Amino acid sequence: MLANSTSEVLIELERVSRWYGTFQALDEVSLRIAPGRVGLLGPNGAGKSTLLKILLGLLPPSAGSGRVLGLELGRAGTNLRRAIGYMPEAESLIPGLSGADYVGLAGELYGMPRRQAMRRAHEVLTYLELQEARYRKLEEYSTGMKQRIKLAAALVHDPPVLLLDEPTSGLDPAGRDAMLELLRVLGREHGKSLILCTHLLGDVERVCETVLILHRGRVLRQGSVAELCASRQDRFRLQVAGDSSAFGEELRQEGAILIQNNGKGRLRVAVPEGWNPRTFFVLASNHGVTITGLERDDETLEELFHRVLREADTPVPRVLETRHV
Amino acid sequence: MSESVEPIQHGSLLHYRPWQGQLEDDSRWGVFLFVGVQTVLFTVMATISDLHWLRLACILLFVALWGLVVRSRAWPITRVALLMVFRRKLFWVIYTLAVLVFLLFFFGQYLMSWALTQFGETEVRVGGMGRANPKFLVDLFRDQLKMNGSAEMFRNFFWYEGYTVMVILALAGSILVGNDIRFGSLAFYLSKPISRWDYLIGKGLAVAVFVNLITTIPAVLLFVQFGMLEDWNYFLEQSRLLVGILGYGLILTVTLSLVLLATAVWVRKTVPLIMTWTTLFLFCRLLSEALVNNLQFDPRWRLLDLWNSTMYLGHLCLGIQETQIRPWPQPAWEETALVLGGVCCLCLSYLILRIRGVEIVT
Repeated sequence: MLANSTSEVLIELERVSRWYGTFQALDEVSLRIAPGRVGLLGPNGAGKSTLLKILLGLLPPSAGSGRVLGLELGRAGTNLRRAIGYMPEAESLIPGLSGADYVGLAGELYGMPRRQAMRRAHEVLTYLELQEARYRKLEEYSTGMKQRIKLAAALVHDPPVLLLDEPTSGLDPAGRDAMLELLRVLGREHGKSLILCTHLLGDVERVCETVLILHRGRVLRQGSVAELCASRQDRFRLQVAGDSSAFGEELRQEGAILIQNNGKGRLRVAVPEGWNPRTFFVLASNHGVTITGLERDDETLEELFHRVLREADTPVPRVLETRHV
Repeated sequence: MSESVEPIQHGSLLHYRPWQGQLEDDSRWGVFLFVGVQTVLFTVMATISDLHWLRLACILLFVALWGLVVRSRAWPITRVALLMVFRRKLFWVIYTLAVLVFLLFFFGQYLMSWALTQFGETEVRVGGMGRANPKFLVDLFRDQLKMNGSAEMFRNFFWYEGYTVMVILALAGSILVGNDIRFGSLAFYLSKPISRWDYLIGKGLAVAVFVNLITTIPAVLLFVQFGMLEDWNYFLEQSRLLVGILGYGLILTVTLSLVLLATAVWVRKTVPLIMTWTTLFLFCRLLSEALVNNLQFDPRWRLLDLWNSTMYLGHLCLGIQETQIRPWPQPAWEETALVLGGVCCLCLSYLILRIRGVEIVT
């Protein structure tokens, strides 16, 4: 039973740690996530799977406390899984069952009476445009259909939260687009909160409003995608007319790093601390180059992700920044 | 699938909230009542039947298992497991053999009872050996064939049906459990709000259905049939036999369920499972017989043969005299029970360890 389903906070963790023997998979993770579409990012071994297991009530935290939809972690047990729809990365289908039977069985395991479960199975399959395939055996499904049937099994009891583990895994571009659009609609129009765990940063950019970056069991960044990507003050995007290569060389000598030069006068530059943007114009005039455009350069999510990981791996101790969403 | 398909209601996806309370387990008192009534019934039955404590222990185990089953959320898992096996034609072919054995006993009993009513007091000639009362002849014939509602008849029935059970279980094992491991379906089950115990109970229950469908239920039917053909007092006088039948069925169910589930989780595929199953129940049997019967080793070597141990305890449940038990000699029943219990505990531990090791989140 949910303690307070209208709570403003979807997930709240307070110094949650998890050890496997002497290996620490999660290191005092504290975060608050509001309802919405959240991307969970991190390299292999970052602690994503452990975090998912804890959120699903499959593992208790070794230390710390937390709540998901008001349910206490480590105590709620199966009630956590009842409130969450989980779409696993693994195929996890039952050969021999039809699509409708499979989703109906999921409904029953969530505690619904059989008739109700079957009715819901048909509704959800129709919603996911699998109505024509619902009586076919699962082993005859294509990869895209298998992904959708897994989503149907996670949706059958209409949970407020969906935990999606690599939902676009193995899909072709068209199938991936369709799945991502479906997830966006579920989030936007049906008010589902999504926690999207994936290695494909593009998926997170397209679906999620907020992102959580985990590395070595710690939260490195948490915030809205736009906010985190726009946070760079040391990068500029320039459009120049004239000899951009000589201008680029001059920039290098001044300590700037030329990230990209497309040869058509479009440059991306990382500048050292304390850089005054007027310097661009001074250097340009030295080479008879005209700057026709100058703007701060937002990072892509991929750049942000790699930079954050790189910074975390440098030996210089630094205070890790976390923001509440 | 006969459920009517209703038009999609997008709103329902937003407002449907089954997890907000109605799915909470409110049936706790119902379960206590159910198990309580069963306990009382069986205790009364045990009291009037002058039970051996082994049979009493079987009853208590039976009631406890019922409690676990009713309390668990295993039924959908059991139903799906049964459905998967019932869809195989081979199952129905083998099951037909089991039904034929049952019909042989059923109509055998009926024929014998009917024959008794067809003779008068006049003696009949028996070849050149003189004259005999026909009732005496039919009684003799019936007792030799054991079609007399006795413990021996049920022993024979369980013995013949046992072969069918073993073949069906060997075929069903990989479908019931092996596929869940091979195709990752276990993650589907365990990511739902059920415990690992519910999964095990669900699968065990499916095996129990097969075992009891072939052995215990037909045996009870034969018991009821004989009582109705003979005399209503049979039910009262032989009530301990009914308890013995249930006990025998329970021993078969628990042992075979656990051993089959553990074997299927271990080897997963059908052919290796059949080979392992054959080794366990055929090779070990031949080996133990060779050791004890031919080489005159200690009867304890029979403990290698799980099938023999199961049957031996089952026979004791039915109340068969030790002198009537074949093969003989056997080890002490306490040792047999200990070994069988140990094997069950081992299988259960292996199952729990193996299922606990399944990664739901990869």
